[in-house]
Amino acid sequence: MGRMKFLCDAERCIECNGCVTACKNEHEVPWGVNRRRVVTMNDGVPGERSISVACMHCSDAPCMAVCPTDCFYKTEDGVVLHDKDKCIGCGYCFFACPFGAPQFPNGQAAFGARGKMDKCTFCAGGPEETGSQAEYDKYGSNRLAQGKLPLCAEMCSTKALLAGDANVVADIFRERVLRRGTGAEVWGWDAAYGGGEQKRERKREGQS
Amino acid sequence: MTIRMMRAQGGGFAALLLMLLLWAFALPLHAAERPAGSSAADQAERQVERPLNNAPVWRAVRSGEAHTTNVRGPEAGVLIQSEGNTWRQLRNGPITQYGGWLLILVPSAIVLFWLVKGTIRLHQPRTGRLMKRFSAFERFIHWGTAITFLVLAVTGLAILFGKHVLLPIFGHGVLAALLDVGKTVHNYVGPAFGVFVVLMILTFLRDNVWQAIDAVWIRRAGGVLDGSHVPSGRFNFGEKTWFWIGVTFLGLAVVISGLILDFPNIGEWTRSDMQTANIVHAIGAILLLGLSFGHIYMGTLGVEGAYESMKTGYVDETWAKEHHEIWYQDIKAGKSGHP
Repeated sequence: MGRMKFLCDAERCIECNGCVTACKNEHEVPWGVNRRRVVTMNDGVPGERSISVACMHCSDAPCMAVCPTDCFYKTEDGVVLHDKDKCIGCGYCFFACPFGAPQFPNGQAAFGARGKMDKCTFCAGGPEETGSQAEYDKYGSNRLAQGKLPLCAEMCSTKALLAGDANVVADIFRERVLRRGTGAEVWGWDAAYGGGEQKRERKREGQS
Repeated sequence: MTIRMMRAQGGGFAALLLMLLLWAFALPLHAAERPAGSSAADQAERQVERPLNNAPVWRAVRSGEAHTTNVRGPEAGVLIQSEGNTWRQLRNGPITQYGGWLLILVPSAIVLFWLVKGTIRLHQPRTGRLMKRFSAFERFIHWGTAITFLVLAVTGLAILFGKHVLLPIFGHGVLAALLDVGKTVHNYVGPAFGVFVVLMILTFLRDNVWQAIDAVWIRRAGGVLDGSHVPSGRFNFGEKTWFWIGVTFLGLAVVISGLILDFPNIGEWTRSDMQTANIVHAIGAILLLGLSFGHIYMGTLGVEGAYESMKTGYVDETWAKEHHEIWYQDIKAGKSGHP
């Protein structure tokens, strides 16, 4: 069995929010709930980088560890899913999660009435019968069961967001890194998008 | 009504409680202070110096700073918050383990104490003459606090320990159903408990102010060791300790932290705030529950006639004389009975 992982290549992400839109549309998630988001570090500053983040389907998932009703479970593919019928909306998973993945339909409501938690399912549905309407209504579509990968990654225009078996994703990323160069150059925008043209342009600007 | 469990520990226990709560407030849950330079300035500088090395960005990713995102939501701009792991380790670790043991050992110690010492009976026969000890309002406040406290204790314990105790017995479905109701009840009864706690502090404040006579009680450890009678006013030092440490300090700590957790919409609470509030809430509630076992014991099994006083509001004169002699004399002399 595979070990499903997301990887966002920050050298490629262009902050188009296509992944966010694809996710919202595919799963018809309620207003206010965003299973995925793109964060731009130091927006507008030279060297800015954007990273698309959602549930990272941790091996040792903090949400799973703190849930009072033990509503989380891990599939054979290493995807962390939860049972909304058991969720009491206490918000503990949100306190514990490093990535801010758990979302609540009512938001930060009075008397802690957040509603049932919703998060990225790696497009793997939930505990309801696979492909059923109940599964779709609660967790969104189950693409993994159809042999498809998460839509956010499939839709990614620059192929920055990779999703799939950890070994395959790692291989793809390793190959990219090798092609970009070695050492410090691994982390360069130029290395990712071909520095020549841009460098020439910068030189021209510098001369003028 | 005295808290014999606490007599031996006295001030040392109070100091320990205070230290524990201060420690909880000082937990490193808040992200460390960020250097003034900011990652943006570092990053801009780095792009000039070494364009292919963008380490400042990666430090910023890990820093817990809020950055730019189009998605709206609490702390959506924070890519990684590390404090959640600290919270998880504390909650699932020492709080669950030591808290669990405390809540098993304290009642066990009380039962053992009862088996050895037995109920404190009245030494003289009852006179049949009754004295008014608690007004209807005082009893309303007491039972309002007591009932809401017990409801909160049961539902709160289920949230922390249900996974370890109820789940193996009843399974996932029942636990989830219980906690769904339990969490809702906890969240709505909580504020009511808060109102009762404040009213209780105001109602009983005057009679719980420390007096010179309390020194005698402390010196003789409440008479628990030699079985001697220690005169006291309306409330003895044990009851005053329960009032100040239990009701006032722990009660307010639990209420304030509880309100933060219950109303995440008021104020811009961050996850760090919620984690700190949760730790304070859990430690405070477990200690308060531990102390309440002592209080409940003294008010029911431990002392003959104590339960009657809070049930009916009246005590027999013999009871008053044997347990609160100075208060008894004050009433007999026609005074109010208050200090």
